[in-house]
Amino acid sequence: MIEFDHVTRHYGSKTAVEDFSLAIPRGELFALLGPNGAGKTTTIKMLVGLLRPSQGYVRVSGHDLVTDTRAAHLHLGYVPDEPCLYDKLTAREFLRFIANMYGIPRHLAEKRIEREIECFELHEFADDLAENYSLGMKQRLVFAAAFIHDPDVMVLDEPMVGLDPHSVRIVKDLLKARTAEGMTVFMSTHTLAMAEEMADRMGIMVRGHLRFLGTVDELREQMAIESTSLEHLYLELTSAKTILQENTLD
Amino acid sequence: MANDRPLPGDMHPLTHEQEGRLLLWLRLTVAGHTIGTMFREARLRLGLVGLLSAIFWAALFGLFFEAFTFIDSMHAEVISLLFNSFFSALMVMMVFSTGILMYGGLYTSEEAKLLLTCPLRSAAIYGHKFQEAFWFSSWGFILLGSPMLIAYGLVRDAPWSYYAMLLPFMISFVVIPAALGSIICMLVVAGLPRLRIHAVTISITIVLLGAIWRVWSALNAAEAETLTTTWFEETLSQLTLTEQVFLPSWWLSSGLLDAALRGETADQTWASSVEAMKFLGLLVANALLANLLAGWVAQLTYRVGYSHLQSETPQRKRHARLWLDELLARSGSRWGGPLRLLLVKDLQIFRRDATQWSQFLIFFGLLTLYFLNLRSFTYTYAYASIIGYLNLAVVGLILSTFTTRFVFPSISLEGRRFWILGLLPVHRDHIVWSKFLFAFCGGILPCLGLITLSDSMLGIPRQTLVIHLICCTMLCSGLSGIAVGLGARMPNLRESSPAKIAAGFGGTLSLVVSALFIIGVVLLVALPSHLDLMRRTLGVVPEKNLIGLVGSQTGIMLSLGLVVLLGLTATFVPLLLGIRAFRRFEP
Repeated sequence: MIEFDHVTRHYGSKTAVEDFSLAIPRGELFALLGPNGAGKTTTIKMLVGLLRPSQGYVRVSGHDLVTDTRAAHLHLGYVPDEPCLYDKLTAREFLRFIANMYGIPRHLAEKRIEREIECFELHEFADDLAENYSLGMKQRLVFAAAFIHDPDVMVLDEPMVGLDPHSVRIVKDLLKARTAEGMTVFMSTHTLAMAEEMADRMGIMVRGHLRFLGTVDELREQMAIESTSLEHLYLELTSAKTILQENTLD
Repeated sequence: MANDRPLPGDMHPLTHEQEGRLLLWLRLTVAGHTIGTMFREARLRLGLVGLLSAIFWAALFGLFFEAFTFIDSMHAEVISLLFNSFFSALMVMMVFSTGILMYGGLYTSEEAKLLLTCPLRSAAIYGHKFQEAFWFSSWGFILLGSPMLIAYGLVRDAPWSYYAMLLPFMISFVVIPAALGSIICMLVVAGLPRLRIHAVTISITIVLLGAIWRVWSALNAAEAETLTTTWFEETLSQLTLTEQVFLPSWWLSSGLLDAALRGETADQTWASSVEAMKFLGLLVANALLANLLAGWVAQLTYRVGYSHLQSETPQRKRHARLWLDELLARSGSRWGGPLRLLLVKDLQIFRRDATQWSQFLIFFGLLTLYFLNLRSFTYTYAYASIIGYLNLAVVGLILSTFTTRFVFPSISLEGRRFWILGLLPVHRDHIVWSKFLFAFCGGILPCLGLITLSDSMLGIPRQTLVIHLICCTMLCSGLSGIAVGLGARMPNLRESSPAKIAAGFGGTLSLVVSALFIIGVVLLVALPSHLDLMRRTLGVVPEKNLIGLVGSQTGIMLSLGLVVLLGLTATFVPLLLGIRAFRRFEP
């Protein structure tokens, strides 16, 4: 469903992502971890078509994000790290706008809007202008909009920022249910506990490279450390000392 | 590689028309809510904008009507030249203004980021953002152009078809430079991302310098006495460059002139109208073509350009502390320490906020240019005196826009950061006083400099200059007091954008009070000072009545005293109200 094929991305003379290859099949929840500046946001921006790779290809449901952007977008749902809404639209109007954007027939769109309003508990403020929403309310609305067209692939960039514990639970349950139905999820996060709890596989990026790809158990195996937390493994893997050692070996 | 997987959830990709309709629905819905909110929450501002626009429109109409009546009776042949000069200058300005607006709309706005992740064609996003830029860059033309063209029609006794064609003429004309500006913007971003800022800066500088040189040489080439018929003709002859048949401004001018012609017979009038319609057709066809081309360019380059632009890493810049900051922080008594530190902080923020100082520079720079040009004309004492006071009012009005736009929101913005300031061992009064001092000190020097320049160019006597400088000082003090005091009395903590805070009720009130204060100060002192100047220059002995008393030295001193009183009231009353409110302030 998601393919990164030898993707490299430069920012001027700096290389943000280098020779990144990854395939995520249908129904998998993948978590991308890494310290600040590792290249996670660049990877996500390429996956949603905001950035073009300097080299390589990114495909969603078989559609190239550069040559077939519009078709790829029809299969994608995206929750950015900072919710972007129209201040002068109500939640219901915003959901209607997004539903129409994906060409969902009107009768079905109205049902979906009600479904998402109920799912994300937006009733109370569904007809208020978004300018009056708190960060958490905005984030819930962005989730609702991302799910409204039942996408094959969901891209989440730091999805839990601003959500209260109750909303976090809703999102987690929804992601589990949808992945069981075949939706593929690509999630970037700093919350290790969330990645450990939710992800089928995880990738750890450091300085533009995918340092690790696999499950937590595989990470323990690779690091040759037993019975320790993901936090410990993560800090070990991303520490300057480890990177220096690996670079020397390379 | 595409597996032609069916679209999820019964989706149907939108056609071009459906995309256009959807984005139009979005714009109308957002506009509807915005207008509704303004009617509910900002009636004063809305009413004020409407009233001022109507006054501005009526004043322009009157001015143009008189000017066209004068020109029509004496120099009918120069109308074409005037129209060509006006419309070609407007065209160049619109290319730049739309280009800059499109850059903001297409490449740096949050909305663009959202729309680019949706299944929309690039051309549709371009069209959506173009509507916005088109509106913002053309409303000024409509406001300025409509009184001019209606006045022209009335003076020439134009047939009804002239008025019917006005709006199509104006809209189709404006689309061409707007689309051209958009195309240039998209090509520059996509093709020359690294040279983007330099390309735009150099182009604007060249065009501005060229325009200034052209106007300067046109004004100075005329050797005849100012504002005489010969001077007028000599000056306009310098502008024949704008009469080029391939320019849309020429099509517009020619079309309008033909449309306004009323022949001796109905057939002649009809023939002129048909000629005008040909020009209108030419403009509409080119506008459509330009828009089509822009959409095509967007489809080809928008996403590439957006991606290129993201590749540019912002240069890290170290911001060292200047000697001025050091001097300000260390000088003075121990008591004023926190006050001085707050001033240094505001000074650093001002220096690093290009929006503030660039607007300051542009407006005061333009005023300086205007004042420098005052010597190109010759005046009687009466004119010089009136222009001197008008210039004083202009300096005050420009300063009031800055105090409202930048100083008024500053307390609200501090309120948002109150968790920092509130925890510091700083008395709350110091925060308000520091804002006042910063505004006053920032405004006083350039304003006094401008007034001195204006008066020296006008050849105004020294005594009147001193009066102007006292008035200017009071204006700076009063305007700073009004903006800071009302800002502290009516803070808006919900908004993070200073522009939106300034546009709210408090900002509008601050602007209105400032305008009334300026009018009060200028009127109080202008009349006695003007009468006195007239008396002294014309050698008239003052009469022993009220007018004589007003125009005497006593009258001037009295009016100056009132100005100082008004200035101190405008400074301290709002400030004290603001300080009291700020002491009770709970973030």
